[in-house]
Amino acid sequence: MKNNAKFQKAAAITAFIAVALVLIILIICPLVSILSKSFITDGKLDWSNLVSLFSDSGYLETIGNSLLLGLSVTVISTVISLPLAFLFSRTKLAKLKWMDIIFMIPFMTPPYISAMGWTKFLAKRGYLQQIIPAITNSQNFLYSFWGLSFIMALHVFPFMYTMMKNALLNVPSALDEAAAVSGGSFFYRLRRVYAPLLLGNYAIAAILVFIKTLSEYGTPAVIGNKIGFYVFTTSIHNYTSISPVNFGMAAMLSVVLTLLCFILWLAQNHLTNKKTYKVVSGKGVRVNYIKMPWYVTVLAWIYIAAVLITAIGVPYFSVIATSLLEKVSRGLSLDNLTFANYAELFSSGSQGLEAISISLELALLSATIASVLGIIICTLSRNKKRKYNKVLEATGMLPEMLPSIVLVLGIMLFWNSLYNVIKVYNTLTIMVLAYTALFLPYSIQYITSAFTQFSDNLPLAGRITGGSKPYVFMRITLPLIAKGIITGWMMIFIISFRELVAASMLEPTNTYVISTYIWRQFEQGSSQLGMCMAVICLIITVVVLIVVRLLTEREKKSRRK
Amino acid sequence: MKQLTKKIATISVAALLAAGMAAVAAGDNGTETSASGTASSGSSTTNSSSASETSASDSSSGGAADVTIDYSGLSGEITVYMPSPAGLASKLCAGFEELTGVTVNLWTGTTGEITAKLTAEESNPQADVVILASWSDGLSLKSEGKLMSYQSPYAEYMHDGCVDDGYTLYGTSASAVGVIYNTNIYSAEEIESLDWSDYADSKFKDDISIPDPTKSGACKDFISGFVTAIDTDYSIIDSWAANGLTNGGGNSPALESVKSGEKGILIAGVDYNAYSAIASGEDIAIYYPESGTVINPRPAMIMNTAPHVDNAKAFMDYLMSDDAQQLVADAYLIPGRADVDCNSARLGFDDIKQYEVDWDKMMAVADTAASYVVTKTAGNI
Repeated sequence: MKNNAKFQKAAAITAFIAVALVLIILIICPLVSILSKSFITDGKLDWSNLVSLFSDSGYLETIGNSLLLGLSVTVISTVISLPLAFLFSRTKLAKLKWMDIIFMIPFMTPPYISAMGWTKFLAKRGYLQQIIPAITNSQNFLYSFWGLSFIMALHVFPFMYTMMKNALLNVPSALDEAAAVSGGSFFYRLRRVYAPLLLGNYAIAAILVFIKTLSEYGTPAVIGNKIGFYVFTTSIHNYTSISPVNFGMAAMLSVVLTLLCFILWLAQNHLTNKKTYKVVSGKGVRVNYIKMPWYVTVLAWIYIAAVLITAIGVPYFSVIATSLLEKVSRGLSLDNLTFANYAELFSSGSQGLEAISISLELALLSATIASVLGIIICTLSRNKKRKYNKVLEATGMLPEMLPSIVLVLGIMLFWNSLYNVIKVYNTLTIMVLAYTALFLPYSIQYITSAFTQFSDNLPLAGRITGGSKPYVFMRITLPLIAKGIITGWMMIFIISFRELVAASMLEPTNTYVISTYIWRQFEQGSSQLGMCMAVICLIITVVVLIVVRLLTEREKKSRRK
Repeated sequence: MKQLTKKIATISVAALLAAGMAAVAAGDNGTETSASGTASSGSSTTNSSSASETSASDSSSGGAADVTIDYSGLSGEITVYMPSPAGLASKLCAGFEELTGVTVNLWTGTTGEITAKLTAEESNPQADVVILASWSDGLSLKSEGKLMSYQSPYAEYMHDGCVDDGYTLYGTSASAVGVIYNTNIYSAEEIESLDWSDYADSKFKDDISIPDPTKSGACKDFISGFVTAIDTDYSIIDSWAANGLTNGGGNSPALESVKSGEKGILIAGVDYNAYSAIASGEDIAIYYPESGTVINPRPAMIMNTAPHVDNAKAFMDYLMSDDAQQLVADAYLIPGRADVDCNSARLGFDDIKQYEVDWDKMMAVADTAASYVVTKTAGNI
């Protein structure tokens, strides 16, 4: 028995070291590579990148652009999402739970695909102008700072909507009613009751939207590059892919971007601790729905429809229409529609088919590896006796706080420097490594939340009744966290299935994945073929999204019972 | 949520701890992604056709060239970077694979992307054979000593100007640029008599576009020729820019914008793209303005650092073989060999009027002129 305990301890330590090594290689080394690339040239400390960052107006402009864009996207997201959050928490509409899935669709749609759809829609002589010939200048809006902000906000607003809706749901109606009884008008109550209670939550949501905007690559690449509006992500990408290549500056910008995000995370964390009111008192929250007169209901539905049409309708319509066009120069008309593009995409041996199979392979591998890592990390960090195991979880969560382009650049630099020792750069392996690192946090998050849903007493009971540790893990713990694992796996699968930044920076010679295929067809070949692939990608995204949703919903229900 | 502070603290600790270990790992090799100074000169394996792969023989198969290449004895792989059209690139690679059993690693990108990739990979060169769509970019690779000389038995059959003096650049295909327009918006009568400078007319305000010369090799060669032969003070380019000239991106998106009518006119649009779109029924047309244009041979080159030299030489020969040249013609490009005919839908090498072309001068100004266009058109949408 004593030997057994010793053995288990040894096994735990081995597992710890193994996982620690994996995390160091996957996450820490790439980050260190970025630091060393920005400040070290030929083995010596070199401040020239830092100097040019502040002396060259181009870099400052990039930073300024990013911050401005982050700000405007946050503002527009707020305008879109606050009324929605109110409607779906304080009025009868809150009963329509399925609307939550609908509102998640724009967020789950790859932003580069939406942006491509928008460019086809708003372009000069594009779909909007073909449908309404009186409009002749929609392209001026599309290719502008505000157009870019608007399209990006349409992607991230569901994020803010969900956070604000949940915050509102936690505010008991009693507070609002007390104010109403004392004679406060609707807007007075908004100002004096809701606003102070929700300001903290709003600040957190706004900061997260801001960070997401800073980290986003797809939309700024589709629209911003065209108008010379460069932000962090597109500049970093350009420095690594377009002549003159400058890895030093790419790394330098990554450092600045990381610092910015880090400061914002700290601010967010501070707000979470200090500025949110404890409205959840344990007394139970009773939410009474506000009764709306019929015309307000109609107005509300018009607003909801308008949001959904712009956020989902327009990009999906554009993408689907483009994929069905027979001749681009004939435009939208029924006799110009064909399925021939799909037939071409799926013709045997085509590049498109190959891209789908490579993406599937990558997504399967990355999701599985990340899930296994996630299980080990979470199991280790559940052990309260060994506090240092928490370090693993924290390191594994690090990619969540970093813009993905930063980690991708680090991975690129790190494996490139090891190229003479291990040939991983320019193979599919490096992409599996990248996706595993990038999306490990999903696995950890879902598994952790599954762990918190059952009591430690369950495995303990198993142990007391004589089950060995592995037996208890297999028969009690694993089945209990299975749903978390599966949900995390699916999220990683769907996201790595269509991920763009890592693919475009790391994909090996001769290889296309779904995202780069779409990108290349849109940029280089036939936009119809690219959009066919986009449609396939969207269908898979929506299906997986609904399945995940159903899984998590059922979990909540069973918990309530 | 307080845990997050702890989390951040532990992250910092973890990062610090690991940084030491990583520094050891990364420090040895530095992160030499962009280190320069690869074996760029001196080591060229010269043009002696190393026995096994080339042998002249009598049995010719179509075409006038009296060359037969013996591809037996080749094996392994070869890495090739090619510009669009991607369809042609993969057909050529498939043809070579079938002929030799050598596995071809193909990467297609715009000329700008390919040169960037070459720079990025300087410390660990991957490419054996590189094709660019810009002769001047090829010449600058040559002047940097990055190319290997190889005298192909097909060299003598090429068009004048499609092989350089040192047998390093082979223009195995060529294209020209012209003006491409949407026929739903403009008629042939109102367009085809116009010369380059006429597109400063306010009639075309905000309806003209040009491929990005830092991406499109053909456009880059056109621009560098244009500013050495015709528009020496850049005034025509300025007048286009003032008339709302936009940067259309690579060749394909630029053409796409004319197809969709987003722009009515594409200045310096590459011709093979247009011909193939016209053949598939799109409502566009192309013509070559009367003051002339540039026919830019698209150079195929063996890199000095090629890991698979024998395969690379065989691939060069294959590119100029009857079969490959026919594929080139089928893609509406001009075959580099003078004895292979163009597709009948397009004008041939001798039928397109060129202005005076001085490649050395053009190479010298190419980068400057290309970025001039990009800068001038920035902000136009």
